[in-house]
Amino acid sequence: MFLTRSEYDRGVNTFSPEGRLFQVEYAIEAIKLGSTTVGVCTQEGVVLAVEKRVQSPLLESSSIEKIMEIDRHLGCAMSGLIADARTMIDHARVTSQNHAFTYDEKIKVESATQAVCDLALRFGESVHDEEAMMSRPFGVALLIAGVDENGPQLYHTDPSGTFVRYEAKAVGSGSEAAQSELQDKWHKQMTLKEAHVLTLRVLKQVMEEKLDYHNVQLAQVTSDKGFEILDEVRLKALIEDM
Amino acid sequence: MPDGSFAHPQQRQFNPYSENGGTILAIAGADFSVIAGDTRQSEGYSIQTRYAPKVFRLTDRAVLAVNGFAADGNVFVKKVKQRLEWYRHAHAKDMPLRAIARMIQTMLYAQRFFPYYVYNILGGIEEDGSGAVYSFDPVGSYEREACRAAGAAQSLVQPFLDNQIYFKNQQSLPGQSRPLHLPLPEVLSIVIDSFTSATERHIEVGDGLEMYVVLAKGRSIQGLESFRGVQELTPNPDGDRVFVIRRELKKD
Repeated sequence: MFLTRSEYDRGVNTFSPEGRLFQVEYAIEAIKLGSTTVGVCTQEGVVLAVEKRVQSPLLESSSIEKIMEIDRHLGCAMSGLIADARTMIDHARVTSQNHAFTYDEKIKVESATQAVCDLALRFGESVHDEEAMMSRPFGVALLIAGVDENGPQLYHTDPSGTFVRYEAKAVGSGSEAAQSELQDKWHKQMTLKEAHVLTLRVLKQVMEEKLDYHNVQLAQVTSDKGFEILDEVRLKALIEDM
Repeated sequence: MPDGSFAHPQQRQFNPYSENGGTILAIAGADFSVIAGDTRQSEGYSIQTRYAPKVFRLTDRAVLAVNGFAADGNVFVKKVKQRLEWYRHAHAKDMPLRAIARMIQTMLYAQRFFPYYVYNILGGIEEDGSGAVYSFDPVGSYEREACRAAGAAQSLVQPFLDNQIYFKNQQSLPGQSRPLHLPLPEVLSIVIDSFTSATERHIEVGDGLEMYVVLAKGRSIQGLESFRGVQELTPNPDGDRVFVIRRELKKD
């Protein structure tokens, strides 16, 4: 098929003459429309926090799920198209369980992240005349938090399948302001408690609504207790403390 | 029938396996592990070769001994080594001993209905620095133990180890306690005695003995220095270390 010069953004796997993959770039843009998500790494563990946009007073805010467990020692927060993330989380969970089954050990945070990123670039792949498994890139960014033999770690993945390790990272609509705030406030000796407060403060600054326990969700991964989403009681106490 | 008809039912079969003799054994110490095997390979009354290694270094802290059907054993070791390399590329570290043990189980069980006809004994150092021995059956059942013998002379060697390592059927004097782990020189003597005895009494055991010694990181080579012909296989003396000691056994 002949494509005109201006149609390089139609084929998902077609480079433009300038060497760009437009669909992947658009997918990265889609994340910037998502709600703000923050992750902070400390020596005691990693904290994840997300803003839940409650569009209607009739909406059950507890049904918005943007932080999920991958394994006992791995958690994940997301921003962008949440439905896409479910496919990636499922892949990460299967990979993690397979690793535990085969090697009798916890998968490393980096290996789990790598597995997710391998999947991210499978769009448009098809064998002969079979249908491709995915027709477009995933429109979601993940913050993968975990603890392994190398200590607590936080990774950021995007639709291009790139992953980078961060000490603190913000993604989503308020990410620019949030990231510069994290850069100012994050330090190496930060405690888990300080990280809780920092993530909440950062979210509070970038959120349009007033922050309360209905419209944020907080989770942590520590070496002794693993992944846990903080319940309403602990979240309320933290919001009061900040 | 001579005329080519099939008046009676007939049966044909092909046996893909054979049994190539030899014996392997491993003993775990507190901070070391010894894995040994003879080097004779035979089929029936014939010796195929006097030097066919059955003990293989896998990593700086893991050694695998394989006994049974030699062809299956060689292929199995080749596949284990390949998996270890893939793991190293995927996870940027050597596979821990415990992980190797579990992986060997899954590899053996994957062949549950056409098994590798081999008995594996894996020895080395765990993540916590302790010496460890894992033993397997051909379809992957495994267990961590202090010592294990397998192969042609298992029935001769294992009772000896039970007596010398686990102090079975030994009456201890009142107030005297038994050590959980023996020191390296004693372990090496027991290994050598096991194989010289097995060589005397079993026709499939003999020719050569290879003893691999894995020392935990930071452990001195105390107990090895008196042995002549000790060869170090690991490049760096700051981590876990693997040594091999080769001995002649009777060739008759």
